[in-house]
Amino acid sequence: MSEDSQTLTAPISLTTYHQLSLTVESANIRASGLFKPNPYLQVAVNDNVFRRTEVIKNTLHPKWKEEFTLLVTPLSNIVFRLADHHSFRKDNILGENKLNIPKVLLYFNGKIENLEVTIDLMKSVSQDNALNTEVKSAELVILLDGLKLDPATLNHPEVVGEPLTSRTPFGEGIRARVRLRNTEAPVQTQVRLPSFRPPPGPPPISNGALPFGESGAGPSRVETDTNTQSNVTPQPQSGSSTQAQTTSAGEDPLPPGWEMRYDVYGRRYYVDHNTRSTSWERPQPLPSGWEVRRDARGRVYYVDHNTRTTTWQRPDTERLARFQVWRGERRHVVAQGNQRFLYPQPQPPHPPTQDAEGGSSGAVGSASTSSASNPGAPNSAGSTAGVDDGLGALPAGWERRVQPDGRVYYVNHKNRTTQWEDPRTQGQEISALEEALPPGWEIRFTEDGTRYFVDHNTRTTTFQDPRPGAPKGPQGAYGVPRAYERSFRWKLSQFRYLCQSNALPSHIKITLSRQTLFEDSYHQIMRLPAYELRRRLYIIFRGEEGLDYGGVSREWFFLLSHEVLNPMYCLFEYANKNNYSLQINPASYVNPDHLLYFKFIGRFIAMALYHGRFIYSGFTMPFYKRMLNKKLTMKDIESIDPEFFNSLVWIKDNNIDECGLEMWFSVDFEVLGQVIHHELKPSGDKERVTEANKEQYLQLVTQWRMTRGIEEQTSAFLDGFNEVVPLEWLKYFDERELELMLCGMQEVDVDDWQRNTIYRHYTRTSKQVAWFWQFVRQMDNEKRARLLQFVTGTCRVPVGGFAELMGSNGPQRFCIEKVGKDTWLPRSHTCFNRLDLPPYKSYEQLCEKLNYAIEETEGFGQE
Amino acid sequence: MAATRRLQKELNDIRQSGLKSFRDIQVDESNILTWQGLIVPDNAPYNKGAFRIEINYPAEYPFKPPKISFKTKIYHPNIDEKGQVCLPIISAENWKPATKTDQVIQALVALVNDPEPEHPLRAELAEEFLKDRKKFSKNAEEFTKKHSEKRPSD
Repeated sequence: MSEDSQTLTAPISLTTYHQLSLTVESANIRASGLFKPNPYLQVAVNDNVFRRTEVIKNTLHPKWKEEFTLLVTPLSNIVFRLADHHSFRKDNILGENKLNIPKVLLYFNGKIENLEVTIDLMKSVSQDNALNTEVKSAELVILLDGLKLDPATLNHPEVVGEPLTSRTPFGEGIRARVRLRNTEAPVQTQVRLPSFRPPPGPPPISNGALPFGESGAGPSRVETDTNTQSNVTPQPQSGSSTQAQTTSAGEDPLPPGWEMRYDVYGRRYYVDHNTRSTSWERPQPLPSGWEVRRDARGRVYYVDHNTRTTTWQRPDTERLARFQVWRGERRHVVAQGNQRFLYPQPQPPHPPTQDAEGGSSGAVGSASTSSASNPGAPNSAGSTAGVDDGLGALPAGWERRVQPDGRVYYVNHKNRTTQWEDPRTQGQEISALEEALPPGWEIRFTEDGTRYFVDHNTRTTTFQDPRPGAPKGPQGAYGVPRAYERSFRWKLSQFRYLCQSNALPSHIKITLSRQTLFEDSYHQIMRLPAYELRRRLYIIFRGEEGLDYGGVSREWFFLLSHEVLNPMYCLFEYANKNNYSLQINPASYVNPDHLLYFKFIGRFIAMALYHGRFIYSGFTMPFYKRMLNKKLTMKDIESIDPEFFNSLVWIKDNNIDECGLEMWFSVDFEVLGQVIHHELKPSGDKERVTEANKEQYLQLVTQWRMTRGIEEQTSAFLDGFNEVVPLEWLKYFDERELELMLCGMQEVDVDDWQRNTIYRHYTRTSKQVAWFWQFVRQMDNEKRARLLQFVTGTCRVPVGGFAELMGSNGPQRFCIEKVGKDTWLPRSHTCFNRLDLPPYKSYEQLCEKLNYAIEETEGFGQE
Repeated sequence: MAATRRLQKELNDIRQSGLKSFRDIQVDESNILTWQGLIVPDNAPYNKGAFRIEINYPAEYPFKPPKISFKTKIYHPNIDEKGQVCLPIISAENWKPATKTDQVIQALVALVNDPEPEHPLRAELAEEFLKDRKKFSKNAEEFTKKHSEKRPSD
């Protein structure tokens, strides 16, 4: 992709296309008979494709005021042809002429801005069978705007051509003058080519931007549209190319150069003659300051001169609005980053091992003296493949090995990591633990799976659990199944241990410029073998002094994680209109290299976890669940698409046999105006959904809803992630803990929270409400973050505080609603930031239930 | 397409039921996700004309509700200048996959016949409706005569 962008940074060539705005204003036609004509104007660049104005009926003085955007090179000619429309016979030409762009450019020093051009249209007349002579038949007035070139590039023999005469600098019968600007601010159209490149990756092809001559019917199902294939190629001279251009009532007219057509199935699609592409979506005109360009491989992208950026996707108002919001966040990003925290990184609870490369680990703590029995270089140990332990085969790429002293360890060849724990059972034992071990202790398992404890302090082992009071019953003080806080700390320390024991010595340098953060990072991270990314990071911002002792890389993680959200990259989108959680954008394929980018982002996110850094914005809970390979449930849909969820619940809760739903085991959804059909099972189109089989249907629909359009992207992301941090390492955590690890926590201002909370069926003074706030004030930050996450779906607070909390339909304050009976557990509706709090009878009961709700993630609050 | 069979059936049912207040239903057979039809209200001041509406069904229908917009200008507190209308039956909170288009149409016709100034889209019209019914009726009637479509003759 860099090659492509390089070619574009070359100076303007005479074959580069530029946008030129043409407004056809009016004409005066010389009367030549009894009847007045029905005039319309045809316009073409270099005789290529004729585009035409509306027909104005029965007049010698048509006024059109129609604007076209033409793509011209500095060497183009524009042909104007005035015609008279007849309903029953062939239209006849009233007159024509050619405007020579190089001459105009030369005369106005490379600038065509607000230029009024009057053109005499000529018609050849035969007189008494003598030679044809050209006579002036009409006078045309047009306005040209928006083209500005470096005058130096015009200094070329091809442009200069024949010497200019002062009388007719533009050619015979053509006059031009610069019209004074009216009050509106001039459109910024600096053409500073060298600074623009196409957005990352080669330009889009998959959204239907097919070059002429290739199959280019509708954006999809090209194979069936053979009839329209040839039609898409604009036929020179064909006035018929606009025959389908009917604008139905209420719709804005199409932008210049666009045309509406119907494919063989009668479906509407739109042809963009400017970019020679097709689309199912009705286009909006380009906003001011935007331009269509092509890269060296002829593919289309869009340049925004206002922000000096580029994108693959045609901008529309919604995309632009999102971009504005995104840009607005930028200045908060770094400040936010400095507010995030998690527990201080603990000393590794266990001695670190040597790294998998066989070199000795650099960052070994003082406890390393007892590391003699840790896995060494993989090749130093004998292989014991094929041991049957009843757990089934190891995951692909894993190998079980035994050290000379008989101790078993596991090698992950994919990631070049080693670990003591069996990847098949990893994380499972943890959930049974209530409490962390004392410092220096470790749990191990004998060959037959019996648990024992190693005390590295005294180098002794015992079967006796060293924790005081262990084993505790499943219920804690408030009936909480396990002491969550400690176990999260403990899980975290396990994870850190794995990271540190697989760390590589030395460091990697990543040098970037702030202006091209995304691309620089992409290239450097993808260039390295994934395991190298576990080395210490040394980030350098070009032109900025300073050594990276952590601060710079912290900033880099934060900035880059915000950068990947740039809506113009089309990679991620905010789920469900609220501004907190990210999901993969099913339309990401407009960026042709999107899978590579997802892989890159996967690596990057894994690096953040590995190096204990935070990212700006987290993902949706269902996305974390996917990372953890957890089954997605119907409830998960609620947070990303509440409308869809409600319909599923309705189907579940009602007998559907009597209501004529006419549903079958197949579903549709729409991406970029294209409807994508999917059979939920083989021959699903033929199987009706009934009361008897609806359970299966709901399961299949749920699965589909959570993965549609994003499967490939998710796999690419997970691939990239897994190369740096084996996904098995995450098995300790649940999805909410994963978000905490990735985004960190921030101080939660309880006063602000309480001030901006609303109540339904409770009042500010209800005793349950008072207890609720008492409970919140007693919590530590982590627990507050968890409570917030339970209700709002994220542990983060908006930059402007709780007053700016967003729900799925815009601003939505934190809400506590009285629902149900005191035997119920609290529930939450993350899309509405609402907590359903039953009217508990005592403070203790409220604490118990709330604790249970926020600590128990699985099976809770789900249908 | 998943929604096609359901919509085909709804369309047939509506056509057969011969609704007096919803006529001239036009559906491009190639794209059953878009319908047009004429709303023919009974109550003054809208009974002087007919109003063309468009119903757009999402690809995910009936999981998601259809959207309705007026193609004919109408002087009505619940329908704005762009033809947008706020109809509770097809709002995100109330939508049920079993709701049929004929129920939606009936709700819409009822709303056109009897405006609900408590939930206005055009506050100034709602105010006029409440404070000066005579003036409102006169304006609405004139507007209807000027902009609405011809009522079917039968």
